[in-house]
Amino acid sequence: MRNIISLLIRYSAFIVFLTLECLSFYLIVNYNKSQKEIWANSSNMFTGGVNSYVQGVEDFFALQNRNDSLLIENAQLLETIINYRINSKDNSFQAFEDSDSTSNYSLIPSRVCSKTINLRNNYMTLCKGSKDSIQVGMGVLTEDGIAGIISQVSPDFSTVLMILNSESRTSAKIKGKNYFGNLLWRKSNPLIMTLTDVPKHAEIMVGDTIVTSGYSISYPEDVYIGTISDYSLRDGSNSYSIDVQLATDFSKTDYVYVVSYKLADQKEELISTDE
Amino acid sequence: MNSVWQRNIIRGLFIIALQLLLLKRIDITFGDFNYIHFTIYSIIIVLLPYQMNRTGIVVIGFLLGIIVDIFYDSLGVHAAATTLIAYARYFILNLISPTEGYNKGGLTANNYGLPWFLTYLSIMVLLHLVTLYSIEAFSFVYLKEIILRSVFSFIASLFFITIGTLIFNPKY
Repeated sequence: MRNIISLLIRYSAFIVFLTLECLSFYLIVNYNKSQKEIWANSSNMFTGGVNSYVQGVEDFFALQNRNDSLLIENAQLLETIINYRINSKDNSFQAFEDSDSTSNYSLIPSRVCSKTINLRNNYMTLCKGSKDSIQVGMGVLTEDGIAGIISQVSPDFSTVLMILNSESRTSAKIKGKNYFGNLLWRKSNPLIMTLTDVPKHAEIMVGDTIVTSGYSISYPEDVYIGTISDYSLRDGSNSYSIDVQLATDFSKTDYVYVVSYKLADQKEELISTDE
Repeated sequence: MNSVWQRNIIRGLFIIALQLLLLKRIDITFGDFNYIHFTIYSIIIVLLPYQMNRTGIVVIGFLLGIIVDIFYDSLGVHAAATTLIAYARYFILNLISPTEGYNKGGLTANNYGLPWFLTYLSIMVLLHLVTLYSIEAFSFVYLKEIILRSVFSFIASLFFITIGTLIFNPKY
């Protein structure tokens, strides 16, 4: 006890100093408007900084969940747009929303497990398979355009024959002009495809929009593919060779949407009996 | 001893009055340049007797600061700065102690010579002003203003105090 008291006496100047400084700062912060605001602001700045950092860490761990939920949300929105576009060319959106019998297309969101874009024949592997009702022949969309067609399905994975493949042929048309052609990948540039079989009397311009035709069972009609970047007419040929600048950069594609078409079986049956 | 106390109290009151009634009103401004403030009341702390109890000096510093604060409408700002120099005084004096020690009476130019006194005074006043304007700004965002204000006020205040010292040349 005596030691404590002697300690207190020895350091009394320091203790008094600290006490009075604390008292001064208390007075400063409580009785001076500007200092009070600065104090409040900078403490907010500090706690705000800490909070946002913690929030950032938390967000990072929630990122996968959030991505998945956004993906599903996106798929639903795209579904709505596609079905609306197909079914109600002249009705209002309200009428489309009210009728619930018209959604023939549904989208299955999926993550891309692996992909190549530099080879001559490129494939993409999706992390979803027949368990998520993916079937061979379904079309695959990205958020900007089309990606390819499902060529093989296992229970948990599926392979996409990408449009960047020499075997890929996609029926496409020039929007607003209704000239149809086949979209092929002839060049090695993964951003440029070639639209063939557009007749030479067609009036085309650089910048025209290319969309899917809707003739195949894989893709819905009017899905955006890209724009015309260049075209040429070879001597003696009856059709243009058109370069299409793709909207999708496949090197950045992480998520895709698989198109499930309810009436695919009917249509396919009809086509095969035709042959 | 009694007379030393009387001198200190009377000098203190005079300096406080000078600071609050006259120097506070002096406002030297050249356009945007308003960094000169005469802030001399820290001389009271500077001239307190060497033998005085350290705790007592800290308390006096705080009270002095509060009195000035009441007139400057900045409760706590001057008190914090003055308390700091009152506490730091002991260490500063140890740092610059003259070879013969502090046994000649008051800590004045008359007893220890003008160079020593100016060193001591400069350290104290500069510390006081830097602390004062830092606390006044309350954020190092205004570092440039703090430095300008401290430096120019330091020059002005030191000039003022030195002239006062040369005129009165106190022994205590």
